[in-house]
Amino acid sequence: MASTFSGIGTALSSLMAQRAALDVAGQNVANANTVGYTRQRTETQSVGGVGRASMFSGGTGVGNGVQVVSITRLGDIFLTNRLRTDTSSSGMLAARAAVYEGLESTIAEPSTTGVSASLQSFWAGWQDVGNNTSDQAARRVLLEQGTAVASQIATGYRGVQTQWSQLRTQTEALVTEVNTTAQSIANLNEQIRNIGVGGGSTNELQDQRDQLVLKMSELVGATATVNADGTMDVMVDGNPLVSGVGARSLVLEGGASMSTGATDPPRLRWSTGTAVSLAGGTLAGNLAALAPASSGGILQSAAAQYDTLAQTLAASVNALHATGYTAAGAAGGDFFTFSDPSLPPALGLTVAITDPAGVAASNSNAAGNELDGSVAAAIGKLGASDTGPDAVWQAFVVDVGVKSASAADRSKVSEAARTTSESLWLSATSVDLDEESVNMLAFQRAYEGAARVLTAVDEMLDTLINKTGVVGR
Amino acid sequence: MRVTHQVIQRSTLGNLRTNLIAMSELQAKLSSGKSINKASDDPAGAAHSLKLRSDYSAAVQQQRNADDGVGWLSTIDSALTSATAALRQARDLTVQGGNSGALSQSSREALAQEIEGVRDAMLDFANTKYLNRSVFAGTSNAATAFDAATYTYNGSTGSSVERQVAADTTIRADSPGGSVFGTGTGSVFALLDTIASDLRAGNDVSGHLNEIDTHMQNMLGEVASVGARYSRMLDAQNETADRQVKLKGQLSAIEDVDLASVIVEMQMQEVAYQGALGATAKVLQPTLLDFLR
Repeated sequence: MASTFSGIGTALSSLMAQRAALDVAGQNVANANTVGYTRQRTETQSVGGVGRASMFSGGTGVGNGVQVVSITRLGDIFLTNRLRTDTSSSGMLAARAAVYEGLESTIAEPSTTGVSASLQSFWAGWQDVGNNTSDQAARRVLLEQGTAVASQIATGYRGVQTQWSQLRTQTEALVTEVNTTAQSIANLNEQIRNIGVGGGSTNELQDQRDQLVLKMSELVGATATVNADGTMDVMVDGNPLVSGVGARSLVLEGGASMSTGATDPPRLRWSTGTAVSLAGGTLAGNLAALAPASSGGILQSAAAQYDTLAQTLAASVNALHATGYTAAGAAGGDFFTFSDPSLPPALGLTVAITDPAGVAASNSNAAGNELDGSVAAAIGKLGASDTGPDAVWQAFVVDVGVKSASAADRSKVSEAARTTSESLWLSATSVDLDEESVNMLAFQRAYEGAARVLTAVDEMLDTLINKTGVVGR
Repeated sequence: MRVTHQVIQRSTLGNLRTNLIAMSELQAKLSSGKSINKASDDPAGAAHSLKLRSDYSAAVQQQRNADDGVGWLSTIDSALTSATAALRQARDLTVQGGNSGALSQSSREALAQEIEGVRDAMLDFANTKYLNRSVFAGTSNAATAFDAATYTYNGSTGSSVERQVAADTTIRADSPGGSVFGTGTGSVFALLDTIASDLRAGNDVSGHLNEIDTHMQNMLGEVASVGARYSRMLDAQNETADRQVKLKGQLSAIEDVDLASVIVEMQMQEVAYQGALGATAKVLQPTLLDFLR
């Protein structure tokens, strides 16, 4: 038989449970717009009646109210993992696409001001000299145009160099960010473990940790597994970056400039010395872009193309120019030269001739051929050559264009996949205000109901205590 | 799928952003007038565009070459025409001088002087310059094509001045002065000198008519040849101009936007954007809270 006062206890348990549930709903509503917040739910359980001590002490078997079992975090580990995977590949592809976009902006083709246009004025300059070999002005213009082409190539090369250095600096900063984030995750792991041992709620800390791990996925393509003690291991390249409460760190090594980076490419290793090869994340994209030309590094390949252009230009013009003679009958020699052999060809390319009279336009030094312009005209025709500098440049521009377009497309596709994962993840974890409102309503009503039960029990007892045994009084 | 306000917010925001990006791309096309602003916009188109641009600038240069060639050949043509006329005049004078019996010494002297005047004029024509280059001297840098005293041809004999007017076509722009006027004692100038001195000496000059005719034939032959080349050069001038127009047209077809279609697309995009904005305003407003009292 239940106690006379057990009804009060039951009502009280309900009051407490409903209030706790309302508090959680309040927390949900309060964090409706908090990034990374995962909605929570109060898990309640009915409390059974008092067990029967003996066969004959039969009671009504009514339970003793309700109790809050736990506050559950309604995350979905599978959706979270999917979001991490998609974020990691979209991070890598976005980094690639960004590098191509930057490269294209330094190439600046097709335009009326690019390398292509200055090559064309250079060829036109040769034909003008060929048309009027005695005209000093045309020769001066030609020398200026030669210098303009060389400086345009050098500017393009420097643009690639700058982009390489900036990317290297950015990568360095990202590695630092990865290391500090890893440390933060390890710290959170420790807090979560300690609070968890004490039976406290770690939901909010887990939200924070998930956000950090997601950032790690974006940066280094990290994956994560949860341990039995509530801590989370973060894996990079199959090895733990964060393991329980301890974090390791990554080190970026390799050349700091494009020239040193060609032989000593920037690469990641563990602080213990083992090399790391990343499969995803922004860092993977950056490091691939910084790689040497032989391993497909975007920027080093572009720089090599500028070098090829400079060499092709110098070789094709010099080959013809050397067959020519100046008006004074001297042999032509080199038109272009690489002034400083320690510099890459694209930067070292300069016009070897300083005196306009040194331009060799004639095909013979025999008398009567002083004003011949056939060599100049032949050089002027190099622009149309299938293997000439123009062809090299056009092939390069188109190649970058094709790769850039495909990189942008791939990035767009993977970003769409990431967005889908994110919205799936959000749909599972985000707070629905309507749902919370309905819940609040339910809790409120239940609270009112419990209060009414309390009143009813109170009135019953009042009847029993104050109004019983007073017949005829 | 569970739908929450945050999901709707995100997807609406995503859609709005997509709309806005599409708008900004269309704006960029519309304001620049170009559908290819960088190679990746249309790699195949960019390849064409680069090739067409280089072909176009080659055509522009070839037209400049042809213009220059037309200048040379028209100068040569008028010089040769005038020289032929002068030689014809000298022939008339020689015929006149051939009536040896009817002429007094003073008349012979007058004829001789007139013939010498014709010789000077012809020497001037033979030394005609275009842009400070002797048009009959070929690739030589001699000050004059013919020496005024010895009538020696100073120009080049083997080489010629060529103008490139198409990828594989060149047209000769000069005239070989040595074979047109002759050189030294065999030149038309020396012949006129001989005629003048024969006139003064009272010799019969009608025997020189054949030599004058031979020179006349040489010059007329060259006039025909120059005329033919002149007409080819003019054709080339027109052809390069036509080629430029054609290449510009092709370039424009690849690079330039179709204004009408972009404007229509833009309008459609604007409607879509406004629709998205309207939907956003409607969707995000109501919650259950609006109806609970």
